[in-house]
Amino acid sequence: MAIKVRIPTPLQKLTNGKAEVECGAKNIAELVDILEKDYPGMKERLSDNGKIRRFINIYVNEEDIRFLNKEETTLKEGDTISIVPAIAGGR
Amino acid sequence: MLNIKKADFQSLIDHCLAGYPNESCGMLGGKDGRVEKVYLMQNAKPGPDYYEMEPEEQFRVMKDIRDSGLDMIGLFHSHPAGQAYPSNVDVRNAYWPGTELPNYPDAIYVIISLMDRSKPVARGFTIEEGKINEIPVTVI
Repeated sequence: MAIKVRIPTPLQKLTNGKAEVECGAKNIAELVDILEKDYPGMKERLSDNGKIRRFINIYVNEEDIRFLNKEETTLKEGDTISIVPAIAGGR
Repeated sequence: MLNIKKADFQSLIDHCLAGYPNESCGMLGGKDGRVEKVYLMQNAKPGPDYYEMEPEEQFRVMKDIRDSGLDMIGLFHSHPAGQAYPSNVDVRNAYWPGTELPNYPDAIYVIISLMDRSKPVARGFTIEEGKINEIPVTVI
């Protein structure tokens, strides 16, 4: 099944410059594994011990997976996944 | 160079003053260094020395900027008690976690110091590959 994945600028080196890729996965955890297979290095960039890293927001369509089912969030054909770096800082 | 209209600049300063003593934040949509739209956003983890955009609001605003045919040309936040200069936390969070790959290489980070609230100071910077470069912010 086809799911669109929007790749942020800092990860586009891994996707040969592509800003959007397609893949099939039943949930976010599986999506990370499939991205790793297609674009080695992706898993380490996105996750740490199976959890999505802090300061990385992943949205299914327009919803943050933290408010869905996190790494277990189910995906279906036609979904668009956006990987977006958080914006934070301060002193 | 970042050009911002006087009324837009004032709205950004007012937002930062309203959030005092906590940090405030937002985004700047525009084209070719000219700000067309200021987004006054919430600090999801408010504190006097920290800000973090609320993820769903961040997504909505980024989408609105794209849908308006604009680019995200700037990100702003206040330093209520610090200089208008990127802190170590600002620099670390400008990169993808664990790397020095800039998250938003085309964005100018505007920092507003409120050390003297009667005279806020705004300065702009790019943060890339370990280097901080000042970009002039001009109120037009």
